[in-house]
Amino acid sequence: MAVVADAGVLYGLLAVGAGLATGLAGIGAGVGEQGIGAAVVGVVAEEPGFLGKGLFLMLLPETLIIFGLAVSLILMFAWTPFAAIVTP
Amino acid sequence: MLRPVKMSRVVVAGSKSVISPVVEKLHELRLLHIVNYNGSQPQFEIGKPIGKAKEYSEDLIKLRSITRYLDLKNKAPDKTYPESQVLSEMDNLLNNVGADVTATYERIAAIEAEVKSKQDQIKSLTPLAVLPLPLDAYYGYESLATFVGTAKTPVDADVARVSPANEIFSGSAKNATFVAVFVPADKAGEVSSVLSEHGFSELSVPKLEGNVDSAIASLEGSIKSLEGEKAPLQKKLVDIKKQYEDLMLATDEYLSMETRKTEAPLRFAETDNAFVIDGYVPADQFSRLKSELESAAGGKIEVSLIADKEAEGLVEKGEDVPSQMDNPSLVKPYELITRLFAIPEYKEFDPSLLIFVFFPIMFGMILGDVGYGVMILIVLMMLKKKFRTPGWQQLINVVMVGGVWAVIFGIFFGEIFGPLGLWGRIMGHMHEHEIELAKEAGLYFGEGVFGTLGRLGPLGIFPLDRLATNAVLLLIGTSIFIGVIHCGVGSILGIKTELNYGEKKHAYFERLPVMLFQVFFCIALLGLIMGQSILTYLGIIVVVVSIVMLVMGPEGAMGLAHVPSYVSNLISYLRLLAIGLASVGLAYAANQLAFYVIMPMLSGGATNSAEFTIPAIIAGILILVVVHFINFLLGILSPFMHPLRLHYVEMFTKFYSAHGGGVEYSPFGHVRRFLKA
Repeated sequence: MAVVADAGVLYGLLAVGAGLATGLAGIGAGVGEQGIGAAVVGVVAEEPGFLGKGLFLMLLPETLIIFGLAVSLILMFAWTPFAAIVTP
Repeated sequence: MLRPVKMSRVVVAGSKSVISPVVEKLHELRLLHIVNYNGSQPQFEIGKPIGKAKEYSEDLIKLRSITRYLDLKNKAPDKTYPESQVLSEMDNLLNNVGADVTATYERIAAIEAEVKSKQDQIKSLTPLAVLPLPLDAYYGYESLATFVGTAKTPVDADVARVSPANEIFSGSAKNATFVAVFVPADKAGEVSSVLSEHGFSELSVPKLEGNVDSAIASLEGSIKSLEGEKAPLQKKLVDIKKQYEDLMLATDEYLSMETRKTEAPLRFAETDNAFVIDGYVPADQFSRLKSELESAAGGKIEVSLIADKEAEGLVEKGEDVPSQMDNPSLVKPYELITRLFAIPEYKEFDPSLLIFVFFPIMFGMILGDVGYGVMILIVLMMLKKKFRTPGWQQLINVVMVGGVWAVIFGIFFGEIFGPLGLWGRIMGHMHEHEIELAKEAGLYFGEGVFGTLGRLGPLGIFPLDRLATNAVLLLIGTSIFIGVIHCGVGSILGIKTELNYGEKKHAYFERLPVMLFQVFFCIALLGLIMGQSILTYLGIIVVVVSIVMLVMGPEGAMGLAHVPSYVSNLISYLRLLAIGLASVGLAYAANQLAFYVIMPMLSGGATNSAEFTIPAIIAGILILVVVHFINFLLGILSPFMHPLRLHYVEMFTKFYSAHGGGVEYSPFGHVRRFLKA
């Protein structure tokens, strides 16, 4: 098994990982919001006073993407073992 | 400010002979929030309308139908009317103007229906032009059956097989074959089934005379003349609308007011000779209500306050104490955000003040750009003149305060339309060797400067370029810090709210551990980062204690299930940084593309801005305008939605609306808009 020692390659892999973390989390949040959004629109059409609570429910899965983003940020900026390799 | 206005429970009882002046006075005072009588007590019945209730509501229905014909929308008043003028003009408005409007509207509707039917006729006539028959040949037979329509395959042979006596015409146009089949009436059934095998679909032929072209021409002529008749009628409606708009809305207001007054007794309890009104009034207004009502009724009335203990009993039986939010005018617009979620319950806190403190700061921190901030302010100034209804005004005010904060944060972040934008050109930036030095020392926070002042703040972190690694780390910390404060304030209010409801166990073993957990979890993290093991141990100990408290709490071991969400609550605040980074990223990309890619490329590889050619500069500016405009639109939406979420999901769940929202204080009465007081 070849050991990847090139800092540039490592940095590239890190970036790919960071991108996947945010992107996949985004898809997950989107799938979650899809169902809730449809239901909320239905409810608000009948009962406009429900808008605030509906928004609340709809925004709940958004935290997911922030998790993904947090992982990306850690990968790109904060995880010292990698940061040490990558920083020239 | 953090609490709804204190209310008193009152009972108004009086002789039925004074019911009208009392209702009139109540309406004028706009103080009493009436609790509807539900007919639950056998000795009282539900009251009956007084005065001309029926006439008023009939007039109102008449007026509403006129306003519907005129397509009148509710709007901010341009002109107000005294009641006497409304009264004197009402008859003319409802009868003469009303009849005119109705007749005109009905005529327009009739014309539209006729035009529609003529257009349909033209549509069905057009394909018949390929058949060599005059129109009157298609109808009026007693012994013949007629089939006119399109067929997919030739029908002649098969029709001849079932009905030897026949006459068939065909022609084709627009990829379809049109046929007209005439057969004896007694063969109609068989021919029809034969035709359907050929994919026949029937057309209806209008009963007209002459040949097809002239019939179409005459139909078109009459459509034109009908349209000619319609235009002045529509203009007439527009003129009437313009002339009577405000008066009609004023009349609507007057009639609704009167209807509400005459129907008010439906909400009272009544006996043969007396009436009783239950309700709530702001505590400090009770004496005013009492004296005003007593003088209006000439003493034939008793206005009394119910003792707090007894009122508590009524609340326990299911009566809702109305809550009126009480905030200074600066905070008022933020009630919109509270209201969108739920009206605070009487015993709860009103979070509007907290929203006023946190929301604009979060908005500003996310947007953080002088250019965008100023643009938001300019756009909203213009919108403010256009949208004058209270709801829009509140929303605009909310975003405007956010815009001011965006400018302030923009100065901290050194951004005018993004990094690489105008900041460097206006305020200047560091020399390259200084940047290199800062990077080597690991203290690079951006290259902008405040003009001759240079870089400010500890370690010279301002202006903070949000895309620099150090800045991202710093902002992660700041975001989580804001989160701890935000959630902590929510938890404190949650503890107090539970105590107000007398739920000590919930307060100390459900709300308090959440706050301890979140605060000390972050302290432990801080200890890890700073290498202070004392902080870490302290944090971990308190976190463990808080988890133990949760398990001892009302939910027992199930309470542990919430622990991950307390962490995710805090991580959620990272969006303050993240959404901002996204918008900075887009602005950065726009500037990079325009100044460092498009402009040099189109100028034949020029490296310095003095050599850029005019077309290159124009193309660059075009790119800048388009991308920044998109970013600007996103820059209003997401900095609004995300702090909203942080309030609704992360903060409100700690203390707000856990008991299901309250009832808004809506006193009996009316705020005059089109009517002069």
